[in-house]
Amino acid sequence: MALRAAVLRHIRLPVQTLTATGSRPQPQWSFLRLFSSHDDHLTKEEVIDRVLDVVKSFPKVDPSKVTPDVHFQKDLGLDSLDNVEIVMALEEEFKLEIPDKEADKIDSCNLAIEYIYNHPMAG
Amino acid sequence: MAASKGQKLSGMQKQVLSLYRGFLRAARSKPAEERRQIESIVSAEFRQNSKQVDRKNFLYIEYLLRRGKKQLDQLKSPDTIGLSSVNVSSSKKQNADT
Repeated sequence: MALRAAVLRHIRLPVQTLTATGSRPQPQWSFLRLFSSHDDHLTKEEVIDRVLDVVKSFPKVDPSKVTPDVHFQKDLGLDSLDNVEIVMALEEEFKLEIPDKEADKIDSCNLAIEYIYNHPMAG
Repeated sequence: MAASKGQKLSGMQKQVLSLYRGFLRAARSKPAEERRQIESIVSAEFRQNSKQVDRKNFLYIEYLLRRGKKQLDQLKSPDTIGLSSVNVSSSKKQNADT
Protein backbone atom coordinates (compact mmCIF):
# COMPACT_ATOMS: atom_id res chain seq x y z
CA MET A 1 0.00 0.00 0.00
CA ALA A 2 2.80 2.37 0.91
CA LEU A 3 4.57 1.31 -2.22
CA ARG A 4 1.51 1.94 -4.32
CA ALA A 5 1.14 5.41 -2.88
CA ALA A 6 4.79 6.11 -3.54
CA VAL A 7 4.46 4.96 -7.12
CA LEU A 8 1.35 7.00 -7.68
CA ARG A 9 3.00 10.08 -6.24
CA HIS A 10 5.95 9.47 -8.49
CA ILE A 11 3.79 9.17 -11.54
CA ARG A 12 1.77 12.22 -10.75
CA LEU A 13 4.84 14.40 -10.44
CA PRO A 14 5.84 14.62 -14.11
CA VAL A 15 2.21 14.98 -15.12
CA GLN A 16 1.83 17.98 -12.87
CA THR A 17 4.96 19.66 -14.17
CA LEU A 18 3.86 18.98 -17.71
CA THR A 19 0.47 20.56 -17.29
CA ALA A 20 1.98 23.43 -15.31
CA THR A 21 4.56 24.38 -17.90
CA GLY A 22 2.53 23.22 -20.82
CA SER A 23 -0.57 25.27 -20.15
CA ARG A 24 0.24 27.70 -22.96
CA PRO A 25 3.41 26.97 -24.90
CA GLN A 26 3.09 23.18 -24.96
CA PRO A 27 1.27 22.72 -28.26
CA GLN A 28 3.74 24.99 -30.04
CA TRP A 29 6.68 23.14 -28.57
CA SER A 30 5.55 19.72 -29.63
CA PHE A 31 4.96 21.12 -33.09
CA LEU A 32 8.47 22.55 -33.26
CA ARG A 33 10.04 19.39 -31.93
CA LEU A 34 8.41 17.40 -34.69
CA PHE A 35 10.00 19.63 -37.27
CA SER A 36 13.39 19.80 -35.62
CA SER A 37 13.67 16.02 -35.52
CA HIS A 38 13.18 16.06 -39.25
CA ASP A 39 15.63 18.92 -39.67
CA ASP A 40 18.39 17.05 -37.89
CA HIS A 41 18.01 14.59 -40.61
CA LEU A 42 17.27 15.93 -44.11
CA THR A 43 15.38 18.97 -45.24
CA LYS A 44 12.91 18.71 -48.06
CA GLU A 45 15.01 21.14 -50.13
CA GLU A 46 18.07 19.01 -49.66
CA VAL A 47 16.20 15.88 -50.70
CA ILE A 48 14.82 17.64 -53.79
CA ASP A 49 18.26 18.96 -54.82
CA ARG A 50 19.98 15.65 -54.42
CA VAL A 51 17.23 13.67 -56.16
CA LEU A 52 17.33 16.08 -59.11
CA ASP A 53 21.13 15.87 -59.25
CA VAL A 54 21.01 12.08 -59.40
CA VAL A 55 18.38 12.12 -62.15
CA LYS A 56 20.24 14.81 -64.13
CA SER A 57 23.46 12.85 -64.02
CA PHE A 58 21.80 9.77 -65.49
CA PRO A 59 23.47 9.33 -68.91
CA LYS A 60 20.27 9.06 -70.96
CA VAL A 61 18.60 12.06 -69.38
CA ASP A 62 18.63 15.59 -70.81
CA PRO A 63 19.40 17.57 -67.62
CA SER A 64 17.50 20.63 -68.85
CA LYS A 65 14.24 18.66 -68.75
CA VAL A 66 14.56 17.59 -65.13
CA THR A 67 12.20 19.26 -62.65
CA PRO A 68 10.68 17.95 -59.42
CA ASP A 69 7.52 17.09 -61.37
CA VAL A 70 8.89 14.92 -64.16
CA HIS A 71 7.81 11.36 -64.70
CA PHE A 72 10.83 9.21 -65.54
CA GLN A 73 9.26 7.29 -68.39
CA LYS A 74 6.59 9.65 -69.73
CA ASP A 75 8.64 12.86 -69.60
CA LEU A 76 12.25 11.76 -69.84
CA GLY A 77 11.86 8.99 -72.40
CA LEU A 78 13.27 6.30 -70.14
CA ASP A 79 12.14 2.67 -70.00
CA SER A 80 11.42 0.45 -67.02
CA LEU A 81 15.01 -0.81 -66.87
CA ASP A 82 16.31 2.78 -66.71
CA ASN A 83 13.72 3.36 -64.01
CA VAL A 84 15.26 0.54 -61.96
CA GLU A 85 18.74 2.03 -62.48
CA ILE A 86 17.63 5.48 -61.34
CA VAL A 87 15.99 4.13 -58.19
CA MET A 88 19.16 2.12 -57.48
CA ALA A 89 21.25 5.27 -57.94
CA LEU A 90 18.97 7.07 -55.48
CA GLU A 91 19.43 4.23 -53.00
CA GLU A 92 23.16 4.74 -53.14
CA GLU A 93 22.93 8.51 -52.91
CA PHE A 94 20.79 8.32 -49.75
CA LYS A 95 22.29 5.12 -48.36
CA LEU A 96 18.99 3.29 -48.41
CA GLU A 97 17.77 -0.06 -49.50
CA ILE A 98 14.34 0.27 -51.06
CA PRO A 99 12.35 -2.99 -51.15
CA ASP A 100 11.10 -4.18 -54.54
CA LYS A 101 7.50 -3.44 -53.72
CA GLU A 102 8.24 0.21 -53.01
CA ALA A 103 10.85 0.57 -55.73
CA ASP A 104 8.37 -0.53 -58.39
CA LYS A 105 6.11 2.36 -57.45
CA ILE A 106 8.74 5.07 -57.72
CA ASP A 107 8.36 6.29 -61.29
CA SER A 108 8.69 10.06 -60.96
CA CYS A 109 10.86 12.64 -59.20
CA ASN A 110 7.92 13.56 -57.00
CA LEU A 111 7.39 10.04 -55.70
CA ALA A 112 11.12 9.60 -55.17
CA ILE A 113 11.31 12.83 -53.19
CA GLU A 114 8.31 11.90 -51.06
CA TYR A 115 9.58 8.40 -50.36
CA ILE A 116 13.08 9.53 -49.42
CA TYR A 117 11.92 12.53 -47.40
CA ASN A 118 9.65 10.29 -45.35
CA HIS A 119 12.22 7.55 -44.90
CA PRO A 120 13.70 7.68 -41.38
CA MET A 121 17.04 6.23 -42.46
CA ALA A 122 17.75 8.48 -45.44
CA GLY A 123 21.13 10.14 -44.99
CA MET B 1 9.27 -8.25 -73.98
CA ALA B 2 9.65 -4.57 -74.64
CA ALA B 3 10.69 -2.57 -71.64
CA SER B 4 7.47 -0.93 -70.55
CA LYS B 5 6.71 2.76 -70.97
CA GLY B 6 4.98 3.69 -67.79
CA GLN B 7 1.86 1.55 -67.90
CA LYS B 8 1.04 -0.73 -65.00
CA LEU B 9 3.54 -3.57 -64.69
CA SER B 10 2.51 -7.18 -65.16
CA GLY B 11 3.60 -9.76 -62.62
CA MET B 12 6.15 -11.09 -65.03
CA GLN B 13 7.59 -7.65 -65.73
CA LYS B 14 7.92 -7.13 -62.01
CA GLN B 15 9.86 -10.37 -61.76
CA VAL B 16 12.18 -9.27 -64.55
CA LEU B 17 12.77 -5.88 -62.96
CA SER B 18 13.32 -7.51 -59.60
CA LEU B 19 15.92 -9.81 -61.14
CA TYR B 20 17.60 -6.84 -62.78
CA ARG B 21 17.67 -5.06 -59.44
CA GLY B 22 19.13 -8.19 -57.88
CA PHE B 23 21.99 -8.21 -60.37
CA LEU B 24 22.73 -4.54 -59.82
CA ARG B 25 22.72 -5.08 -56.07
CA ALA B 26 25.05 -8.05 -56.36
CA ALA B 27 27.37 -5.97 -58.55
CA ARG B 28 27.67 -3.38 -55.78
CA SER B 29 29.45 -5.89 -53.57
CA LYS B 30 32.25 -6.42 -56.11
CA PRO B 31 35.39 -4.34 -56.63
CA ALA B 32 34.84 -1.18 -58.69
CA GLU B 33 36.34 -2.48 -61.92
CA GLU B 34 34.35 -5.72 -61.86
CA ARG B 35 31.26 -3.86 -60.81
CA ARG B 36 31.33 -1.66 -63.90
CA GLN B 37 31.92 -4.66 -66.08
CA ILE B 38 29.09 -6.65 -64.52
CA GLU B 39 26.72 -3.71 -64.81
CA SER B 40 27.46 -3.17 -68.48
CA ILE B 41 27.11 -6.84 -69.38
CA VAL B 42 23.93 -7.33 -67.35
CA SER B 43 22.39 -4.15 -68.70
CA ALA B 44 23.22 -5.09 -72.30
CA GLU B 45 21.74 -8.55 -71.78
CA PHE B 46 18.47 -7.31 -70.31
CA ARG B 47 18.10 -4.65 -72.99
CA GLN B 48 18.81 -7.07 -75.77
CA ASN B 49 16.21 -9.49 -74.45
CA SER B 50 13.72 -6.71 -73.91
CA LYS B 51 13.92 -5.97 -77.62
CA GLN B 52 14.24 -9.47 -79.01
CA VAL B 53 11.96 -11.58 -76.88
CA ASP B 54 8.27 -11.43 -77.69
CA ARG B 55 6.45 -10.17 -74.60
CA LYS B 56 3.88 -12.93 -75.00
CA ASN B 57 6.46 -15.71 -75.07
CA PHE B 58 5.82 -16.53 -71.43
CA LEU B 59 7.46 -19.93 -71.44
CA TYR B 60 10.71 -18.56 -72.78
CA ILE B 61 10.66 -15.57 -70.45
CA GLU B 62 10.05 -17.91 -67.53
CA TYR B 63 13.00 -19.95 -68.65
CA LEU B 64 15.16 -16.82 -68.85
CA LEU B 65 14.01 -15.77 -65.40
CA ARG B 66 14.92 -19.14 -63.90
CA ARG B 67 18.28 -19.11 -65.58
CA GLY B 68 18.89 -15.53 -64.53
CA LYS B 69 18.14 -16.39 -60.91
CA LYS B 70 20.69 -19.18 -60.98
CA GLN B 71 23.29 -16.88 -62.48
CA LEU B 72 22.49 -14.29 -59.86
CA ASP B 73 23.03 -16.84 -57.09
CA GLN B 74 26.41 -17.63 -58.57
CA LEU B 75 27.30 -13.98 -58.83
CA LYS B 76 26.30 -13.37 -55.22
CA SER B 77 28.85 -15.85 -53.97
CA PRO B 78 31.80 -13.92 -52.52
CA ASP B 79 34.11 -16.21 -54.47
CA THR B 80 32.74 -14.92 -57.75
CA ILE B 81 34.64 -11.76 -58.57
CA GLY B 82 34.54 -11.53 -62.30
CA LEU B 83 31.95 -12.44 -64.82
CA SER B 84 33.25 -15.63 -66.32
CA SER B 85 30.15 -17.54 -65.24
CA VAL B 86 27.82 -14.91 -66.64
CA ASN B 87 29.90 -14.71 -69.82
CA VAL B 88 29.71 -18.42 -70.40
CA SER B 89 25.99 -18.56 -69.93
CA SER B 90 25.35 -15.45 -71.97
CA SER B 91 27.14 -17.05 -74.91
CA LYS B 92 25.11 -20.18 -74.29
CA LYS B 93 22.05 -18.06 -74.39
CA GLN B 94 23.02 -16.49 -77.69
CA ASN B 95 23.02 -20.03 -79.05
CA ALA B 96 19.60 -20.55 -77.59
CA ASP B 97 18.40 -17.34 -79.18
CA THR B 98 19.47 -18.25 -82.68
